[in-house]
Amino acid sequence: MMKTFAPLLHSYWYLFRGAGMTLLMAAASVVPATLLGGALALVHVFGRRTARSALQVYLFVVRGIPLLVLLTFVYYLLPLTGIDLPPFWGVVVVMSLYYAAFMSEVFRAGIESLPQAQWDAARSLGMQRHLLLRIIIFPQALRLAAPPFVSLCANLVKATSLVSIVGLWELTMASREVVERTLAPFQIFLGAALIYFCICYTMALYGRFLERRSLVGH
Amino acid sequence: MLAMTGVVKSFGTNQVLRGVSLSVAAGEAVVVIGPSGSGKTTLLRCINLLEDYEQGTVTVDGMPIGYRIDPRGGQRVRMSEREIAAAREMIGIVFQSYNLFPHMTVLQNIVAAPIRVKGVPRAKAEARARDLLALVGLSDKAQEYPVRLSGGQQQRVAIARALAMDPKLMLFDEVTSALDPELVGEVLAAMQQLARDGMTMVVVTHEMSFARDVADRIVFMEGGVIVEEGQPEQMFAAPKTERVRQFLKRYNDRYRI
Repeated sequence: MMKTFAPLLHSYWYLFRGAGMTLLMAAASVVPATLLGGALALVHVFGRRTARSALQVYLFVVRGIPLLVLLTFVYYLLPLTGIDLPPFWGVVVVMSLYYAAFMSEVFRAGIESLPQAQWDAARSLGMQRHLLLRIIIFPQALRLAAPPFVSLCANLVKATSLVSIVGLWELTMASREVVERTLAPFQIFLGAALIYFCICYTMALYGRFLERRSLVGH
Repeated sequence: MLAMTGVVKSFGTNQVLRGVSLSVAAGEAVVVIGPSGSGKTTLLRCINLLEDYEQGTVTVDGMPIGYRIDPRGGQRVRMSEREIAAAREMIGIVFQSYNLFPHMTVLQNIVAAPIRVKGVPRAKAEARARDLLALVGLSDKAQEYPVRLSGGQQQRVAIARALAMDPKLMLFDEVTSALDPELVGEVLAAMQQLARDGMTMVVVTHEMSFARDVADRIVFMEGGVIVEEGQPEQMFAAPKTERVRQFLKRYNDRYRI
């Protein structure tokens, strides 16, 4: 058995390095995506009509085009526009903008699923909008949004594998390189799958922990 | 204490309040009864502007809330959010579905507004909160989360939370309608104590016994207008309107002494 799995045993460390790059790319994208997603959710719930219409267009575009197409498109577009941006950051920008859309919908759902009664109760106690958003609405909305948010983060990690199509290096690209060298696709991709699984399953477990914790008081 | 004049409110094409005027003196307990859809709950919610209304004014202790009359032109002017929020501090409301903040403990629910809105120091607010919890009989529940309490207990916490702001007027919107019959008594007892202590209150309820025992005055509403109002003994024994007689018939048949 050890002999047939030799290629994987020889190259697993290379795959781990690839996974490190995957996590780096994901982390660099998650932070702006979350911040932007939060801001967009507030625009969607509280913004004026023009802002909300612009937002709808943006969501429509993101939901209508596959991430792979967007990535490839931007990858070949960037040099033409003269913007001098390393491919890593170009990819991070695209993924941030893409996932911000989904995150904004998750945050919005958290806010809007709170019963009107919570607003009534807070207002009738004399709270003004800023205060009641801060201590009544947002704490509850974030608790509700946490599990689907974590799920989106796991999706983002998996989506980083798409950048291998445009030649950026991370776990999937590293796996393809090793396969090309060793001609053992089954075991190498099995290894890659296991690594992705470990990362995403850990996140899913955390999401479930958050879900159980969010039930306190609901 | 409370003066509502000519309040008109529609939901779309449905005119729910057709020019309602109501006065409540300080220390008076007014109970509003009537069939579903008569506008009772909407009336209550208009008092502290949880519902906006097209015509009419509301004043509490002489201060307008929601809209004031422009002395020059005589038309209504909507007050700013800050002024409305300040006016709301004078009014406490308890809802049918309690509406406690589920992510906060009972104590935090009660002190949140006094601390953040009124600027009461935390120690003083918590001391007052514990007094109020003792008043409603829930001293041992201060650190519990609302989800762990029964409906009756949550409702009593809601009453304590409303009282923590030292309101001049308390509104009760069918506060026992969502409760198991066995839990209704403890909430009504708390309300009765409040009335005895001299709180000005407007209570919308289906609990006719409570209306008879606690009300200084009963108001019967139907179809968005006040049909009749009067002393409980007189309303129950000899209502002036046929509609009221009909409405109270079932209760009177069962409980007439």
